[in-house]
Amino acid sequence: MMFELKIALRFLKDGRGQTTFILLGIAIGVAVQIFLGTLISGLQKDLVNGTVGSSPHMTFSAAETADASGLSSANGFVASSAGNFSRQEKTLDNWRPLLATLDQATETTAVSPVAEGSGFLLKSGERWPILVRGIEPERANEIYELKSKLSAGTYVVEGDQVLIGTSLAAEALLETGDTFTLELPGGQRQSLTVAGIFDLGNNSLNETWLFMSLSRAQRLLGFGDDISRVEVQVEDVFAADLLAEAYEKQFIGIKSENWKVQNASLLSALTSQSSSSLTIQAFVLLAITLGIASVLAVSVVQKSKQIGILKAMGTSSASASRIFLFQGGILGLLGSVLGSGMGYALTQAFLWGTSIQTGEALFPLEFDPAAAGTIIAIATVASIVSALFPARRSASLNPIDVIRG
Amino acid sequence: MASPLLEASELTMVYGTVVKTHALKGVNLTINSGEFSSIIGYSGSGKTTLLNILGTLDRPTSGTLRLLGEDITKMSDEQLAIFRNRNLGFIFQFHHLLPEFSALENVLMPTWIQSKNGSMKMASRAKELLELVGLKDRINNKATALSGGQQQRVAIARALINQPQLILADEPTGNLDSETTEQVYDLMRNINATLNTAFVVVTHNDHIAAKSDRIIEMKDGLITRDYPAAAMDNDAVWKEIAPKYCRYCNRDLETDGATALLL
Repeated sequence: MMFELKIALRFLKDGRGQTTFILLGIAIGVAVQIFLGTLISGLQKDLVNGTVGSSPHMTFSAAETADASGLSSANGFVASSAGNFSRQEKTLDNWRPLLATLDQATETTAVSPVAEGSGFLLKSGERWPILVRGIEPERANEIYELKSKLSAGTYVVEGDQVLIGTSLAAEALLETGDTFTLELPGGQRQSLTVAGIFDLGNNSLNETWLFMSLSRAQRLLGFGDDISRVEVQVEDVFAADLLAEAYEKQFIGIKSENWKVQNASLLSALTSQSSSSLTIQAFVLLAITLGIASVLAVSVVQKSKQIGILKAMGTSSASASRIFLFQGGILGLLGSVLGSGMGYALTQAFLWGTSIQTGEALFPLEFDPAAAGTIIAIATVASIVSALFPARRSASLNPIDVIRG
Repeated sequence: MASPLLEASELTMVYGTVVKTHALKGVNLTINSGEFSSIIGYSGSGKTTLLNILGTLDRPTSGTLRLLGEDITKMSDEQLAIFRNRNLGFIFQFHHLLPEFSALENVLMPTWIQSKNGSMKMASRAKELLELVGLKDRINNKATALSGGQQQRVAIARALINQPQLILADEPTGNLDSETTEQVYDLMRNINATLNTAFVVVTHNDHIAAKSDRIIEMKDGLITRDYPAAAMDNDAVWKEIAPKYCRYCNRDLETDGATALLL
């Protein structure tokens, strides 16, 4: 073992009370850092998941201006209305290469083509405005998790079998197996059967959405082979905007939208939350660093006699300063490892504490070993840096001053 | 003819810049290997300043110092540290052991500083040295759990671990009782005889001085007298060291008698 390390360890071991207190101080600081970090990232993940977990992160539709390459649809513009606003929307043709590319991409987790148009549900002489969404069942399920959100019936979307929302079913008094009539803006009618009733957790969607097979929707809406848009979920939701932009450049004639634009206020809230968490962490780190610096500064004075003797016996100034750098490093490493353990315990305690009443934690927390590793590394480096000043004092100690007594 | 271990010429030491204190005013000194010398003199005569310079702990204002044939005054601080570690042993008045370490560890400390390998060999040598100084049963005691005399004996063992040719001691018995003083002195003398290690001992204790090979007297930053005590008989030595006790010099003084006088 290195001589300086040996001395450093013995000095720390000998100053038991002092060492214990500073270790505890570092550990508590690091525990707070880790717990706070885990809490904030857990909360943010939960918020983001709640916001975009079961909806597309980015969508691709036809650009408003037709371009010269002949992307224009034979069907021209189709009127569509969603909710209480109407717009002219151009359909997307030649979408299969885009779909194939998105399927291949490693960044995407779900890709679903949608043909969408408005219509009315007719039953017992009453009319309800609805939004027809033509989907490929397996692909759409990856985004909307429809299978797990069925409150009645089965997940069958083919032929005249369709899915409607709980609110619509309640209003129109429809149950699984019931039939009703769909009326489209052009006036044509189609008889359909309720295969299942879904609950997407959003009243307006439960009231208006109707899922049918993509091919039938295309036919009913007069799209030919065109679709309205491709909906995509990605692995890293925060990179959705950059990805969307990249594809927009790669494929001519499409335009993209992404959740970040639609949720700008949520994002700015998350950003400010992150920066306040970072600020707190930085100040905790500063407090740790100052704590170590002051303890070691006192220690240099306490151990000046020993340093003087060591120097008289031939310890170099560099070596004398390393003794204190080692002490700083050891304190930082031990303290932050201990603190990581405490931080982990705190997150477990939080999960347990918040689940006492409901049986489920307030929101899921994931202890991130990589983040803990980063904090340990930063705390250790900061501790060594904080030992620089005491180390310099140790290096400049003159053995004669000590020996003279 | 022994080659000189240490050669100092015209060493001066000036402290302070505004008010200058001349601690050494031109000291010339040669120490031969295996010699046991004492430096005596009143407080402020420059004994300790000289010893610190000879031990390379301090640099003279002017003059040259050669140790083991090497010009010390031209070495850097780091070179000096290595030189000290390899070639010199120190014994201080307040024994200056590291209280965090055991007797054995304290003795091994100079070898750790050198980061010598073969620590097993060193450990057995350290044990031998502790046995030599009579502390065989105390090797694992913390330094703080030893008496003053025991601590000083550990310090002597520590000074010997790297087998230096020269040991510098600054009042090694300064805070020990007379019986322990005797033991420590005998031990140093014994090592001097068996290992041929040269000693330069700064002391206030005339009794120790009287038993040295050579007595160097200092006054006001200069060596005023330098005489070989070993070659003189007891009376003559005492006449030199303490002329005021000369009325006893006519008597047939035994060592014990001299001690009694000093007490």
